[in-house]
Amino acid sequence: MTIRSIRRGEDAYPPLLAQIPDPPSRLWARGEAPLELLRRPAVAVVGARACSGYGRTVARELATEAARAGAVVVSGLARGIDGEAHRGALAAGGATIAVLGCGIDRDYPAAHAELARAIVDTDGLLVSEYEPGIEPAPWRFPARNRIIAGLALATIVVEARERSGALITADFALEDGREVLAVPGEITSALSSGTNALLRQGATPVTRAADVLEALGLDPTPVTQATPDDPAAAAVLDALEAGAASADELARATSLGAGELAAALAMLELAGAIAVEDGTVRRTIAR
Amino acid sequence: MLGRAVTFALIGLEPRRVEVEAHLRSGEQPSFSIVGLADRACQEAKHRVRSGVQSTLLEWPRRAITVNLAPAALRKEGTGFDLAIALTVLAASDQVPTARLERHACIGELGLDGRIRPVLGTIAAAEGAARAGFGRVLCAVDSSHEAALAGIEAVGVRHLGEAVGYLRGEDEIRPARPSPRSTSPPPQPDLVDVRGQERGRRALEIAAAGAHNLLLAGPPGTGKTMLGRRMPSILPPLTRSEALEVTRIHSVAGTLALGSGLVASPPFRAPHHGASPAAIVGGGVVPRPGEVSLAHRGVLLLDELPEFPRSVLEALRQPLEDGVVSVARVGGRALFPARFRLVATMNLCPCGARGDPKLECVCPLARIAAYRDRVSRALLDRFDLVVAMPRPRAEELSAGPAEASAPVRARVIVAAERLATETPRRTAGASELLDRAVERLPLTGRGRVRVARVARTIAALAGSSEVLPEHVAEALSYRSPAGLASP
Repeated sequence: MTIRSIRRGEDAYPPLLAQIPDPPSRLWARGEAPLELLRRPAVAVVGARACSGYGRTVARELATEAARAGAVVVSGLARGIDGEAHRGALAAGGATIAVLGCGIDRDYPAAHAELARAIVDTDGLLVSEYEPGIEPAPWRFPARNRIIAGLALATIVVEARERSGALITADFALEDGREVLAVPGEITSALSSGTNALLRQGATPVTRAADVLEALGLDPTPVTQATPDDPAAAAVLDALEAGAASADELARATSLGAGELAAALAMLELAGAIAVEDGTVRRTIAR
Repeated sequence: MLGRAVTFALIGLEPRRVEVEAHLRSGEQPSFSIVGLADRACQEAKHRVRSGVQSTLLEWPRRAITVNLAPAALRKEGTGFDLAIALTVLAASDQVPTARLERHACIGELGLDGRIRPVLGTIAAAEGAARAGFGRVLCAVDSSHEAALAGIEAVGVRHLGEAVGYLRGEDEIRPARPSPRSTSPPPQPDLVDVRGQERGRRALEIAAAGAHNLLLAGPPGTGKTMLGRRMPSILPPLTRSEALEVTRIHSVAGTLALGSGLVASPPFRAPHHGASPAAIVGGGVVPRPGEVSLAHRGVLLLDELPEFPRSVLEALRQPLEDGVVSVARVGGRALFPARFRLVATMNLCPCGARGDPKLECVCPLARIAAYRDRVSRALLDRFDLVVAMPRPRAEELSAGPAEASAPVRARVIVAAERLATETPRRTAGASELLDRAVERLPLTGRGRVRVARVARTIAALAGSSEVLPEHVAEALSYRSPAGLASP
């Protein structure tokens, strides 16, 4: 396990982080990646731990797009949105930084131990202001959020309840004078109450992946959106315009047989045009 | 004075030859003892045999009688030795001809009045007799049709007196005919009752045709169990050798109704999650087949899979992989066949809202994780088909009647025959799609093999001699999602 530490004032100390009101005096980093990574343009993708399938899909997609365009994805390695953000970046082969609220040698949460290893193995870093060996504690997480916001040019909140820790990250980002973006959700869903409140206060809405890249000043990578030439697949995408649906609902809407529909779903999923979770099919976000 | 007869003991389903010898000694106090590692039920034979002989108005020898069950190292349990013991005592006292007795294998329990009762596993014991070269087996009349299935002449007797008369050559008894296949399968629930759930029905058909394991996951009340219970109604009938295997297991387990004949339709078992590991997998001091073996060549439905104890679920892995359960005991190892189609159901979360696009799940993450963690990744990997069953909408429930089981079963039979005779080969395009899927989707090596197998079944159902890309695509849509074992 390669562990390094950077003191404030040293050259390797990330300049963006140095600008925040109370930058950590020392930063610990785990991973082989060059510390240059901390200076690259980064975007924070944060949100609820208990999130919906919609939130998971969006977080993953946004992180993938950002990583593809060359941005570093920063998040907190928590369950839910945070984890999906890291996974999305890894899926694009991009580097990602996880900021922990405990020592960087602690695999917390335990369920993400494997994810933490994958981040380190893909030229990413785990960073923390706490010395190795420090146990996770609830009061350390808000402090950790100021580092997430501080490392990133912009912070995207994907899904958050009214009093979510992700909103604390957004507050830090605003204080630091960074851009805050929020993903709109259904107004009836408690999971989106926090993000919708951010939008009301003036956060930039994310309606497509390009919104994020614009906020970072990056050019979107030209990716050919999978345009299905298969009429069955096209019919499925049409039916999904009205919102997420189960396979049986799609079968009725498209008049496809169960077998044909299953084949079309698999092809669309492979092409990245839809995501399926717990039997619910939804379109992926537009680029 | 020595009498001798042969019977067969069962270790699991395996018949073992047991020689029964009776020796009468004069000049000692009259006595009766049984030696040769006989268990309690077997020791009690003394009382049944003695009363049975006396009730038949035959003479009980006033000598010191020793009955030996050989080989002595083999543990003898049960009541099936009664008939052989009684007849050897009678042979030793010259009441039946030894030479004729020795040409028969004897299987049966005695009543105090001398009547002969059937015993569990008669077909398996009779098979042992046939293999050992016996031409005839002497058994209870109620089990003689079952014994005749073993391909041996089964002489059915009601009473010890009848057996003696037959052995003396006073009465001729015509050997029983093998019991016929039960012609009409028992009434089964029909698929016509299931409204909507097109995807679930399709997966059930594929699972039936290719003998795949199927996991139905979804909110409660969506018809997962209903669908699972209808799998037997679309399965092909058993072949003769399969029917014999199934009949043998059910005979040993005592779940075969008397005179029900050869089991012709695939069995269906749905044990409750409160059942003990031994009841499900098999075992006990005297090894008995468990539910997995009773479901051999049929369907095992495990409703609410995560509610089953972890020990039971882990014990399922051996039969799922090898199609056999081995129970190791002091007395030796018993092997029970257990090749079944597993149909399991589970909710997606404890509150049940997950998987419903219109509801919001309120379960804390930790509870979902705990719920799903009860099913290990390793077990989940054994399901070839995983289908999320959403809550059907009102319009589906009010729709007209769905397709009945009969036409589905006809398609399944054709596809199963096709799979048995030729394996559809993947086209280059299909292989390419599978490779691409392995790269893009979370798919383990075992997952890849399973998708390929399911694709073959889908091709067979489509009547295609080749596995085309669309078959692989459909198979991919039933793969087990990475998120099901834990979120």
